[in-house]
Amino acid sequence: MIGSRIKYSAVRIAILLSALALGVLLVFLLTFTGNQSKGPLEDLFSGLGDQINTIENNMAIKVRKKLRSDKLNWFQPYRHNVALLRNPDTMLWGAFDNTMDESFRKLLDLEDSIEIPFPLMHFYSAWGSKTNEEFPRRMVRAIYNLGSIPFITWEPWLSDFSNDDIPGIPSIDQRDIHGLDSIAKGMYDSYIDEWAAKAKKIDIPVFVRFGHEMNDPYRYPWGPQNNDPQSYIDAWRHVVERFRLIGADNVIWVWSPHPAYGQFATYYPGDDYVDWIGIPVLNYGNVASWSQWSSFASIFGKYYEDLASFRKPIILSEFASLAVGGERSQWFSAALDSLPDIYPDIKGIMFFHSSDDQTTTYKSLNWQIFNDSASIQAIRNGQKAWHSESQNR
Amino acid sequence: MNKRRAGGLWTFKEAKAPRFRDKFILLTLMIAGFLSMINLADWWFREEHVNNLILYILLTLIFWWGILRMLISWIGYLRISKPKAIPAPEGMSVAIFTTSSPGEPLSMFEKTLEACANIQYPHTTYLLDDTEDERFRKVAEKHGAVWLELVGLPGAKAGKVNAALKITSEDFILILDPDHIPFPEFLHHTLGYFKDENVGYVQVSQAYYNQYRSFTARAAAEQTYTFYGPTQMGMHGFNAAVAIGANCTFRRKALESIGGHGIGLAEDLVTAIRIHGKKWKTVYNPVIVSRGLVPEDFGSFCKQQLKWSRGVHEVLFAEVPALFSTLSFWQKLSYIAIGTYYINGLSLFTFLIIPFLFFWFNVLPANMYLVNFLIRWLPLAGFGTAIYLFVQRWMCDPATEKGLHWRGMILKFANWPVYLLGFLLSLINKKIPYIPTAKKAARGLSPFARPMMLHILIFLITVCFVVIYRLFYTPESVLSLTSEQTWGMIGFASIAFVMAVGALFAAFESSRLDAAEPWQKINVNDL
Repeated sequence: MIGSRIKYSAVRIAILLSALALGVLLVFLLTFTGNQSKGPLEDLFSGLGDQINTIENNMAIKVRKKLRSDKLNWFQPYRHNVALLRNPDTMLWGAFDNTMDESFRKLLDLEDSIEIPFPLMHFYSAWGSKTNEEFPRRMVRAIYNLGSIPFITWEPWLSDFSNDDIPGIPSIDQRDIHGLDSIAKGMYDSYIDEWAAKAKKIDIPVFVRFGHEMNDPYRYPWGPQNNDPQSYIDAWRHVVERFRLIGADNVIWVWSPHPAYGQFATYYPGDDYVDWIGIPVLNYGNVASWSQWSSFASIFGKYYEDLASFRKPIILSEFASLAVGGERSQWFSAALDSLPDIYPDIKGIMFFHSSDDQTTTYKSLNWQIFNDSASIQAIRNGQKAWHSESQNR
Repeated sequence: MNKRRAGGLWTFKEAKAPRFRDKFILLTLMIAGFLSMINLADWWFREEHVNNLILYILLTLIFWWGILRMLISWIGYLRISKPKAIPAPEGMSVAIFTTSSPGEPLSMFEKTLEACANIQYPHTTYLLDDTEDERFRKVAEKHGAVWLELVGLPGAKAGKVNAALKITSEDFILILDPDHIPFPEFLHHTLGYFKDENVGYVQVSQAYYNQYRSFTARAAAEQTYTFYGPTQMGMHGFNAAVAIGANCTFRRKALESIGGHGIGLAEDLVTAIRIHGKKWKTVYNPVIVSRGLVPEDFGSFCKQQLKWSRGVHEVLFAEVPALFSTLSFWQKLSYIAIGTYYINGLSLFTFLIIPFLFFWFNVLPANMYLVNFLIRWLPLAGFGTAIYLFVQRWMCDPATEKGLHWRGMILKFANWPVYLLGFLLSLINKKIPYIPTAKKAARGLSPFARPMMLHILIFLITVCFVVIYRLFYTPESVLSLTSEQTWGMIGFASIAFVMAVGALFAAFESSRLDAAEPWQKINVNDL
């Protein structure tokens, strides 16, 4: 009696277990093919989204009289010429604004007030598993539709990856140590490849500033506190090679050390792997105990010779000054006046126009210049003087 | 037109008994579906998805309540069972009760009573009549039925049944709806189970013969096929099969033990839950031994659904709490699941309103990309559909009942105002207001189509507004940024729009339906 009951239970458990195994297998197969078909399905939907966006944009262009892109007609030939963008014959202006994810209004207001239409628009995009860490298709397309070209600072935050996405990934507290080595060894290739494939597919020239300020030991996890300079070079080359393998030749690579921490040659990935050099130039004034009012020449100028020796165009990837501790308008005037003569290799200026910067101090910093008519005037004059000068030549 | 098919309707049909292999496949599909649920949940419950917290919680509760219900129905399928046929013993005393009310067509009773007379097992047929119309008595007598005049009793059908119970003495009572035409072998498929002294009632399937008359009729019938097949068979496995008012054979003692047939809008369900509360065993036999009418026009269908939704909530709020301790676990779960079915009026309304909240008030419950949702949801939807189709092998008449039942889905969606109204009325414990039913000759759209028209109108206005505003007025600085979300929302709203258009078609078709008496063509002696 008891024996038969045990036998009966055993049969039931065996049935349940085999159904369980089959069910798991079914889901596994579906997930596996799902990963394969996630591509087509997602492509289908995003392709549909792109098409609708294009149709809508074309229709709006037809019915509207004034368009922002009209101001950038001169830039049109550049927009479809990656070679020219790698080695431009003119100054490329641009800006980042912390609200551009929702609206470009503030950016467009800025370019109107300083009377310099921006051919470039700059934003930050992190590595990771979240939806907003995928290739920023929406932003890239929106910037392109406005007549500009996107400039993306691509930050390898390894801590944002989930274990499901990257098999064998170290635990979060261990992940950043020699993190660049694991990138170079191919651990994150699935993510890199997907990003590269999407960048290729969108077929719009994209500036990518990967792993910026790698020589600063106090800022980002990809800095020297966790990695050797050689690992940085290996990781950079590996990323660029993945893009080339996939055929994402529309990507323009911006190598971006912090000027104050030097060691440029130690971190330089090589002429074949770098298109531009990006240098942040931020004057914090005396907002913090560690900072003091610093001229453009002292932040950037004294490193120019070293940087120019790489013979690559230079972009001031974050260009801004706070208003505490000095005269901001004069800071801008001095910087822009010196540009064409003393620093001829500078081919790009990117305003850092954030109203809420919490990255370096414990309080929020406002770098915007909307209410500073003197600075706006100084930038306007500086650029105009420079323009007329070059025309006189 | 459907003669050949329709002819097939009038023969005995029965659901297949479950085989081990089928159950095993079902269990496998269920496990796969359950894992897909977990996968979806893992994605759904993330902080990054919260936009408007209150709406997010509401949406989550409604969505996951639906998923949970699906899981409960799957578990029910695992217990699908079919009672072994037991021949009816001789000498049982059996009554058949059928009721007539003012306004019901006399010719229908001709057929029903003639068919009752043809039922082979010895029985007495009673016509419970309050028409005060002499002709009904004559029809009853013509077909050898006992005519009982029961006028002015509260509780409509159930009131008459209870009165008739007092003046009759048979041990077993088959309650038959007058629009149902029983087959001669009817009682042979129910009486045998009463050999077990603990069996309180034996329910058989409810099937129809007029579903080919209109879109609405097809849709209404489609909504019932799964219930009278796999769902009730599963409930039978848990001793929780419900009586559905018609085609149910009761043991007199069971009815007496609960003080007579239950009264109310869901009198059948009230009766069933009380009999379960008294620990009776119940049987569901998945056989088709009669066929009846399903609502043919949109208005009648909605009215029927309103009564049910109001009545079913009555059971949820009044009966379930009172009988809670006497019911078994599975009976509790089953009655709660039935009692909350019509809450999906609220769910449907929520899904319908989301795009309009977004366009007109800029309110968004969740930051979810439609694509990401679809990628996680499609596997679950796939397994859910697979299970839905798989269990169709246990329908009573798979040849005519199988399918995706898209008409049923459209009318289920179209009934969100009805379900919602029923739910709200039961919350404030209010009676259903008087709704005039279009008489056979009356043309014009049912008042129940008005919410559909309003919805369609709002949708069209919204689409026009969105197109014009985005072409001319949306600033360039946000135009491309908002493109995908905007058109994704329009796409999402279009699903409900298509459903509403389908429902409006059903209502429109109903308004042009020619009056007919489908029972006239049936020759009872051929059954």
